Amino acid sequence: MREEIINIKNQALAQIMDAASIEELERVEMSYLGRSGKLTLLIKKIKELSQNERKSAGTIINEAKDTIYETLARQKNKINETSRVWFDPTIPGIKPKVGTLHLLTYAIDEIAHTFERIGFSRVRYPEVDWDWFAFEALNMPKNHPARDDWETFFVDHPINSKLGQVVLTPHTSNGQVREMKRVKVPPIRMINIAKCYRRQSDISHTQMFHQFEGLVIDENISVVNLKGTLDYFARNFFGKDRKTRLRPYHFQFTEPSFEVDITCDICKGEGCKLCKEGWLELGGAGMVHPNVLKAGGIDPTKYTGFAFGWGVERTYMMKSGIAIGDVRTLYSSNLTYLRQF
Amino acid sequence: MDILIPDNWLRDYLKTKATKSDIAKYISLCGPSVERISGDAKSPVYLTEVTTNRVDTASIYGFAREAAVILPRFKISARFNEIKPKSKFSLSKKVSYLKAQVDKKLCFRFTAILIKDVKIGPSPAWMQKRLSEVGVRPINNVVDISNYIMHDLGQPVHTFDYDKIKGQQMVLRESRKGEEITTLDGKKHILPGGDIVIEDGEKLIDLAGIMGGENSAVGTNTKNVLLFVQTYNPVNIRRTSMAIPKRTEAAVLFEKGLDPELVETAIRKAVDLFVETTSGTAEKAALDIYPTPYKSKKIEVSIDFINRVIGVEISKSEVKEILDKLGFKTEVKGKKITVEVPSYRAKDIAIAEDVVEEIARIYGYFNLPSQVMTGKIPESLADSPFEFEVNIKRFLAGVGGNEVYTLSLVSSDMTDRNSLRLRNPLGSETEYLRSTLRTSLVGAANSNLGEKEPFHLFEMANAYISTNKEELPKEKMTLGGIFVGYSYREAKGIVEAMLEKLHIIYKEEISEKQGFLVNQRTEIKSEGKTLGEFGVLSDNEFLYYEFDVELLRKHAKPFAKYRPTPKYPPQIEDITIIFPERTKIGEVMATINANKFVSKTGLVEIYDNAYTFRVWYQDPNKTLEDKEVEKIREKLIHEVKQKFGGTVKG
Repeated sequence: MREEIINIKNQALAQIMDAASIEELERVEMSYLGRSGKLTLLIKKIKELSQNERKSAGTIINEAKDTIYETLARQKNKINETSRVWFDPTIPGIKPKVGTLHLLTYAIDEIAHTFERIGFSRVRYPEVDWDWFAFEALNMPKNHPARDDWETFFVDHPINSKLGQVVLTPHTSNGQVREMKRVKVPPIRMINIAKCYRRQSDISHTQMFHQFEGLVIDENISVVNLKGTLDYFARNFFGKDRKTRLRPYHFQFTEPSFEVDITCDICKGEGCKLCKEGWLELGGAGMVHPNVLKAGGIDPTKYTGFAFGWGVERTYMMKSGIAIGDVRTLYSSNLTYLRQF
Repeated sequence: MDILIPDNWLRDYLKTKATKSDIAKYISLCGPSVERISGDAKSPVYLTEVTTNRVDTASIYGFAREAAVILPRFKISARFNEIKPKSKFSLSKKVSYLKAQVDKKLCFRFTAILIKDVKIGPSPAWMQKRLSEVGVRPINNVVDISNYIMHDLGQPVHTFDYDKIKGQQMVLRESRKGEEITTLDGKKHILPGGDIVIEDGEKLIDLAGIMGGENSAVGTNTKNVLLFVQTYNPVNIRRTSMAIPKRTEAAVLFEKGLDPELVETAIRKAVDLFVETTSGTAEKAALDIYPTPYKSKKIEVSIDFINRVIGVEISKSEVKEILDKLGFKTEVKGKKITVEVPSYRAKDIAIAEDVVEEIARIYGYFNLPSQVMTGKIPESLADSPFEFEVNIKRFLAGVGGNEVYTLSLVSSDMTDRNSLRLRNPLGSETEYLRSTLRTSLVGAANSNLGEKEPFHLFEMANAYISTNKEELPKEKMTLGGIFVGYSYREAKGIVEAMLEKLHIIYKEEISEKQGFLVNQRTEIKSEGKTLGEFGVLSDNEFLYYEFDVELLRKHAKPFAKYRPTPKYPPQIEDITIIFPERTKIGEVMATINANKFVSKTGLVEIYDNAYTFRVWYQDPNKTLEDKEVEKIREKLIHEVKQKFGGTVKG
């Protein structure tokens, strides 16, 4: 009997170890310990043994039973563990290589679209242009400081008898007369964004920068419309809580001329170190000078208009709160800088 | 220009109860802009920006005149105290103590008066305090008077030591190129020519309007002073002041064009101060050479025009009141107003629009409503390039490129013969306009060589190309990009993907160019036009591409031509072929792909000379059977063997 018990136990253990699923384990358990299981039947046979034999057989059977139960449990755990495949969800992903657009591309795109929503058309005019478009047609007298060698770059290029020298445009305003000549009959609502060049380089100036120029010409365009347009831009570009104001200023190609201020974002108009008594300068604007309309072939007795020309870099920095102390940093090609945007 | 206005000094001419913040806030809205208030609570100082057309407000006196008009608009009473000098000397075309010969093109008004027996010493405490407040260091009573008058009235004043003027004579003329003068700060200048200078009997004694000569300067031993007040031609002053360069306060004022009528006020007030503080005695007559005295001009403006430009109705009486307060003389006839311009505004007010500005700013821009224009919206540009350009940028950023903006101005070693040269660059580093983005992008790449990861920089900007004719240089919108750490195939794949994204049908052609490794540059062509290039740079083995964006736009399509999705599936298989060295795989693939039953060919793997191609066999009309595929394959292999000597592996 003893031998028989040990054989059955070993058989059972071998089958348990081989079992790969909980169901199989349950089948093995039934076939040995179930109501008509092999070990159960053997237990029933114990009665038939002698008193002496019965005792030692009982001990062996109990031992076998314990071992089988223990092994069953261990195998059950093992099966449960391995059925959940090991997986680490915290491992970092493999990112595709994603690049960046430059801050100025975002700025130009956003400025253009803000004006396009109120009927402005974006255009492109030369960045290297005749003196006539950059100065003469804009009512700037020959001896105006902006036209001298200290402020504007001149290109070593043959001089045109009518249009003069070739200059790097110091503003986008050369687009004004070019647009008038293209459209011929108003209405005009133009937005011209381009590179400009001035002969200065320091912490707040770069030799190359970008401007956006707005020009509106129609019958009965007034200062009220200029204010409306700039307020629209301020609300949509800078945010609903920002206000603008006009102050008297002077430009040759507009009359009246204004400096446009916007409430300071940092102190909310209370006055702080960064602003002037609560206001920040946005840029210049004004009603198109009649001489400029005439130069563009438009009758100043019939039409009036307004224009503004602002720095893209400056305007965008005032919006985004990106405080770049030295504007030359904007043109850095350093990847650590580029990847921030 | 920025000027300092001390509050206490201002109140000499402005009687008002306005506080310092009233003054800063309200004057800024309608006149010169007060940028900041400095100084202590008892003696605040306004830092004020004066625009170039309003040099009449670049003084304490001028600011007061403007403030007296503006403050009452904000219900703060204010009155302007006009200067009434005490000295009563006459103005004469000739005087015994000085012979002067003056070029009237250079000097519109020339006045001088001799003051005898001057006692040089410190100026009175009140004057020293005021000068300190406007940032001027007190020196002695004579020099301080000049500086005081300049800040008080905005009219520069000069003083000579009369006894140092040889022969008591002066010739005011244009300088000749190369003439020399040492100014009273001890600096020697070689003049560019065309400068305004004054010569006595034997030498230059003044660089007029900029700074006096050392040899005629007032010193501690000076007894007799020649007081000197002029109006100079602003063009000459600016040219000299920028060229030398010497940006004195006097030059900055003169170059804006000063009012010759102000000269008389200045010389009389200066004589008052001389009498008061130096115990000198002035001559009975001052020399005054003023060939074309100011004649006031008249401008006619209609009320309708004023209201049309401003955009609101302003009544005739209010218009008149504003103009009268500003010192214009007005005459109303029906709907027209005739405006007579005072001398101190003559530079700025010439046409009706100028008058409109005066009315509008005093009426207050803040009082105007704000309204976007109604009316017809113009047609937008028919063939606008902007969306196309930004889409390319977005694509390149999407596949890992970092966009840069680099300076268009480059040095001579970064240019070619098509580059435009500047006549007046700031330095040799920025002397030329670039005709390619390549050198700039190489520079940008080189500034990132510490970078561990591979990178791709790109830029889209105008290249400027010389035409050397009587027409404008060309501006070519150019896309450039540079790869560092990328393999040739990775980089080329990005360029190819971009072209495919734009649905451009193109061919590549090997073509040599300076700057690229021999045999390692291709031109990308479409319909016979070269759109751009891609290749390996010879200096650094960076990979570089450059495209003409307008040509890309012309050859691009928003969508590929529609082709129905094939009904019958392809059979796909990989074939490994061994080639002799120096076989151009692009050509091999073109040969395979030329077969009409091959819909696509790819390169899967390269191992030594063994290239594994993936071939898609497809017939649009039926499913290909194995036997048919076998036939096609045999044909392909035969072709490849014949043309390139390739043999199938295994």
